[in-house]
Amino acid sequence: MTTRPDTLLDAVDACAREPIHIPGSIQPNGLLLGIRRADLAVIYATANVASAFNLAEGSVLGSDLRALLPGLAHLAETLGVVSEETGARHLGPVTVATGEGQRTFDAVLSGGQDLAILELEDAPAGLTVAEFHPALRSFIAGLQGASTVGLLCQLAADDIRRMTAFDRVLVYRFDSDWHGMVVGESRNDVLPSCLDLHFPASDIPAQARALYRRNRLRLIADANYTPIPIETHETAPLDLSDSVLRSVSPVHLEYMRNMGTMASMSISIMRDGELWGLVSCHSVAPRKVSLSVRNACDFLTQIFSLQLEAREKSAHAERRMRLRGVQTRLLAHMASEDFFINGLVNNPAELLDLAGATGAAVLSGHHVWLRGDTPCEAEVRALYTWLAQENSDDVFATDSLAAVYPAALSFADKASGLLSISISKIHASYVMWFRPEVVETVQWAGDPRQKDSPDGNGATRLNPRHSFEAWKEIVRGHCVAWNAAEIEAVTELRHTLVGIVLRRAEELAALSDELTRSNKELEAFSYSVSHDLRAPFRHIVGYSELLKKQEGASLSERGRRYVDTIIESAFTAGTLVDHLLSFSQMGRTALNPRRVPTRELVEEVRERLLLEIGDRAIVWTIGDLPVVQADAMMIRLVVENLLSNAVKYTRRRDVAQIAVGCERQDDEWVFFVRDNGVGFDMQYVGKLFGVFQRLHRMEDFEGTGIGLANVRRIVERHGGRTWAEGAIDQGATVFFSLPVLEGAA
Amino acid sequence: MPHLKPILLVEDNLNDVELTLAALEQSQLANEVVVVRDGAEALDYLYRRGPHESRNTSDPAVVLLDLKLPKVDGLEVLQTVKGDPDLRHTPVVMLTSSREETDLLRSYELGVNAFVVKPVGFREFFDAIQDLGVFWAIINEPAPRTGQTGY
Repeated sequence: MTTRPDTLLDAVDACAREPIHIPGSIQPNGLLLGIRRADLAVIYATANVASAFNLAEGSVLGSDLRALLPGLAHLAETLGVVSEETGARHLGPVTVATGEGQRTFDAVLSGGQDLAILELEDAPAGLTVAEFHPALRSFIAGLQGASTVGLLCQLAADDIRRMTAFDRVLVYRFDSDWHGMVVGESRNDVLPSCLDLHFPASDIPAQARALYRRNRLRLIADANYTPIPIETHETAPLDLSDSVLRSVSPVHLEYMRNMGTMASMSISIMRDGELWGLVSCHSVAPRKVSLSVRNACDFLTQIFSLQLEAREKSAHAERRMRLRGVQTRLLAHMASEDFFINGLVNNPAELLDLAGATGAAVLSGHHVWLRGDTPCEAEVRALYTWLAQENSDDVFATDSLAAVYPAALSFADKASGLLSISISKIHASYVMWFRPEVVETVQWAGDPRQKDSPDGNGATRLNPRHSFEAWKEIVRGHCVAWNAAEIEAVTELRHTLVGIVLRRAEELAALSDELTRSNKELEAFSYSVSHDLRAPFRHIVGYSELLKKQEGASLSERGRRYVDTIIESAFTAGTLVDHLLSFSQMGRTALNPRRVPTRELVEEVRERLLLEIGDRAIVWTIGDLPVVQADAMMIRLVVENLLSNAVKYTRRRDVAQIAVGCERQDDEWVFFVRDNGVGFDMQYVGKLFGVFQRLHRMEDFEGTGIGLANVRRIVERHGGRTWAEGAIDQGATVFFSLPVLEGAA
Repeated sequence: MPHLKPILLVEDNLNDVELTLAALEQSQLANEVVVVRDGAEALDYLYRRGPHESRNTSDPAVVLLDLKLPKVDGLEVLQTVKGDPDLRHTPVVMLTSSREETDLLRSYELGVNAFVVKPVGFREFFDAIQDLGVFWAIINEPAPRTGQTGY
């Protein structure tokens, strides 16, 4: 935007502050009397009253209305029918004697608590209300046939022009910033077309819009009129908000003359009590429009606005209905998926359709799913960060993302518009819909940035525009605006998703309770096993040993073998119980992580193993090993298990080869223990780390099958992984990884 | 010989009593082994109450205490003994089937002198019991009469 000089801003401000409801004068096509309700004294009167009724100068103000103008005395009784709430009331034609003989006026009454305003407007010869009836009837019939809002506006403009004989009638609609756009037009060849032109908000300042809301109809019959001043002895100026003859701002008259329109009329189009737009009528020559015709136009306009409202509501309802269908299908998809987000991301067509978007992103935790035409993942993540920080609304919609988030300029072709819902702020769950940029050419009625011109004194004064000549502006960074139905649809989707998330959270909480309980039970179970199941095995072993010792001599060779087998089996069973308990303890005991130098650890374990294995040829290759952050006792168990396995499974080799090493891969340490032992069949690799899973016969290699299960459990509790490679008779390599933690290396 | 203090074995399981006695027998200790079957009786013995009111033996050289006992369990007995200024110098060895770490930690908190998980293998069990008996009943005998304060 161009920066405007302060002086111009002052001028615009001044215009916006002009008190247009108390101009102190009226237009010349009538008379005005301000009557005090208490005593019916005339306390305000236009300067033309005395001359019109042949009254002595100075006799008007202070006089009783009934005495002053006996011809209007009967109106005195009706003053009570109006108030500030009712607005103006048309009293119909009144005929009174004037200096020029009998004159007929249209009488209009308005006023407040203490004062009534009686306006007598010259009644030009013209159509009467009865004559409008067929015109109104055909208008209503036509309205019902108009299939689009555009046609509706056209029809209203045509009929109002027919009734008023203005050269050009515009239907003018305000946007959310009060800029106007011409959406319907009816004209002859006298004035140029304004269809599709935009008018800046400053053309109709705020106090003018306020008056339009209150007083729906305004006529300026001749832009060159000489205003008739209102005379009074009161100090307060007369409030003409509800007046029909109110004089308008000289700035506005200049604006009209600049545009070559000598007469203008405007009718407010109201919707839900708000100003939706205007019917704006222009004529090159001055044009009087009788109060009756104006009222008929107002009536027609209100019917038009009701029709408009009905159309928009039904269009909205239709869109809503269609989107409900999409929404229902999405919900069905979500219900049929284990993970509800899949219901969204696996049905991109419906996900996009719900908001009429060309791209969508679903964020949940660390995951991002992109569907359709979207910015890249990094851009979506950055956008999410901005949204989460800057916007606390559950639903966010903009049709110009770059205006609030400048980084969006770089992907305007994909996401100039953003509609997003936040599902859970804690878990960073968002759904975003995108729309691409639609480059729009806005035709302004004249350059909206230039309205000033210095006056003779060097000061800037507000200088109304000289032409409606179109000034084109290319508007970038905008998308087609999200409509209310789309915003409602995603808002409802949000409610559903939040419901699902909450239910999940409850289920998780219940599951966690359940887990806590079953953990407790498991603890009690293993406690009881450790005491009660272990003891009988000990006793079997113990008594069998005693039997062998004391009665061994009298037993046969076979009998002694039986006893040995009993001892061995009970011992194995007891050992199994011990291992099972240690495995369960491994899962339950709290981790106590600290710095563990794995090189030293491996050396210690190796030396202890060497004491046990005695005289075997083993070639050890131990590579560089890091310092890790781990529970020292547990990680020692891992190393003991892996090294003793390697020693065990290489015992048939003449020269056993055992290698231990580690290398860093991204953010983890990957350790391996490799041997040239009997190996295993990769077909069973899945069983290798299972509890009590053994791949060798007991008589070949002893063991309970708990070792690698313990290794896996410990490594996983440290956030690492375990896996293995091998082949029969080709040796085996067991891998495990541990995360690289900051400060541990 | 009359000065040898007895060994108090607190054990509810008869099989364990028999196996433990067999092990102690093998170590050829001369000490008398007194067997009580639950924690309440162990306290009665130590405090010379009830059936043990008139015992004229000296306090035990060592208490071999099972952890899981009827009525008053081993941990409670341990707590009472170690909380009593007259008894707390009596060595207590916890004998248990359990490998539960919590039991072990609790026992050491209460001041146990040793904690032995009964091994499944009989030979190991034998060795353990013999070692305990020898250590606590013989080696650990204080030597007040010599008047020497050092070794």
